[in-house]
Amino acid sequence: MRSVGLIMDREIIERVARAAHIALTEEELAKYSQDLTDILDYFKVLDEAPDFKGSGVNPVEIADILREDEPRMDIAPDDLLRDMNTYDNYVRGPRLS
Amino acid sequence: MNMQSVLSSLEKTNLRYSMFNDFLKNGEQGNSKFLFSAKDNLTSKDFETCSGSRILEGYHPVFDATAIAKMREAGGKLIGKTNMDEFGFGTFSTNSGFGIPRNPFDLERSCGGSSGGSACAAAVLEDHVSLGVSTGGSICCPASFCGVYGIAPTYGRVSRYGLIDYGNSLDKVGLLSAKASDLSKYLPIISGIDEKDPTSCVQPKLDLKKEKIRNIAIPKEAIDGLSKDVMTAFQSSIDTLKGMDIDVKFIEMPALKYAMPAYYVLATSEASTNLARYVGMRYGHQDGDLSLKFDDYFTYFRSKYFGDEAKRRILLGTYTRMAGFRDRYYAKALNVRMYVINQYKQIFNEYDAVLTPTMPFVSPKFEDISKMTPVEAYKADYLTVPANLAGTPHLSVPCGYDGNGMPIGMQFVTDHWKEDLLLTMANEWDHTFDMKRAEVSL
Repeated sequence: MRSVGLIMDREIIERVARAAHIALTEEELAKYSQDLTDILDYFKVLDEAPDFKGSGVNPVEIADILREDEPRMDIAPDDLLRDMNTYDNYVRGPRLS
Repeated sequence: MNMQSVLSSLEKTNLRYSMFNDFLKNGEQGNSKFLFSAKDNLTSKDFETCSGSRILEGYHPVFDATAIAKMREAGGKLIGKTNMDEFGFGTFSTNSGFGIPRNPFDLERSCGGSSGGSACAAAVLEDHVSLGVSTGGSICCPASFCGVYGIAPTYGRVSRYGLIDYGNSLDKVGLLSAKASDLSKYLPIISGIDEKDPTSCVQPKLDLKKEKIRNIAIPKEAIDGLSKDVMTAFQSSIDTLKGMDIDVKFIEMPALKYAMPAYYVLATSEASTNLARYVGMRYGHQDGDLSLKFDDYFTYFRSKYFGDEAKRRILLGTYTRMAGFRDRYYAKALNVRMYVINQYKQIFNEYDAVLTPTMPFVSPKFEDISKMTPVEAYKADYLTVPANLAGTPHLSVPCGYDGNGMPIGMQFVTDHWKEDLLLTMANEWDHTFDMKRAEVSL
């Protein structure tokens, strides 16, 4: 495995930023590359952690709570649309292509 | 100071401390029985809710968060939304898009983060309780820095409905107040099952039996890296606890070493997906050029309005979830999380609580914070992160003051659903410890 310092190179950080929909300036690219390199370097301590049996997403057990599939209206649609950019009750959005 | 005078001086108080993002101007007490404030990542119908971020500026929620709704039902009046690190990303409340709250003991120092404004409000307003939110220590840290009491309950004890998510598996709504008795008074009010939040639905009732903590374990690993003042105050507090007939033992807890990196991997992974919804369409700013392609439109908003630390954490979380790196970071962090929980459980077989200082140093000055690297700032959380990773309830109480009069706090952690032990401890400690209030001059 390459060292963490090499992993977080310019190409990777650009790929990560594209995936996250964040445009970085040249200055930001340099800054975040360095910051993430330092942070990931610190995270290397995780490699030393013993392999513990099991892994969990939640810290306490979460039961699968389902409600009845009955339509209901908790919030009036007009309220939800109040602050949105709409036209004839459609939400305006950017071009898809 | 009565409630009406608090309301009439709110604007002046906020000018000095910058603790509110949005608050009542010329408010009336009306029929309310008590005043409360809430962190700005809890939605409320009557105030703008920005979660400390410019990207949400102008967002007016159409519903109240369950915790706020319950406080109102109990007769409370919400007087404002407290300033915080953007989306909870920080230890010093210096990452807000809306100014920086000032520590009531020294205006050149931090209130702590990320519920900094809530701790400040609890410290300077009379008879005040504030709703805070903790993901990795965001209630106990500011409580410690501002010299007040703060409790983060068991994960799921208080509904997260209406909470603007940072890390869904970590976020908890809790309380901050200068009065220990307020924690016992208001935690039962905001606790309980809420069908709107399935994570709140599995819990034993919060039963205030006034059970006492009889014995305490202090992990040796937690003592490394403490400032001299914190160490002195902590040692003196241990003596006080022994004088309260509490048995105190030092133990080993090797899992603590891995908790901090595991927390930051999980928290940023979850944050990077949670923040994907902020693209300038549904919430806050919608002032983009709709002729742009959707990718460019979304990128424009996110690049323009997210702050520095938000970008850093989004990038970090996106990276640790990416194919090729996921097993090394995200999967490993989940594994470590269970390891930490298991060690707590083993300790709780023998001891009622785990005790450490809350923060390794007193609140730093803003000029010193600005020189910290991200890793140095993250390391400051090494005492508050483990309990948050484990979802266990934890309480910070003021336990001393340094030579400059800055408050020092210590943190008790108990097993899941054992908030009763913490509430009793808070009240007992309040009777024992000579707490100092910050001087509030307007």
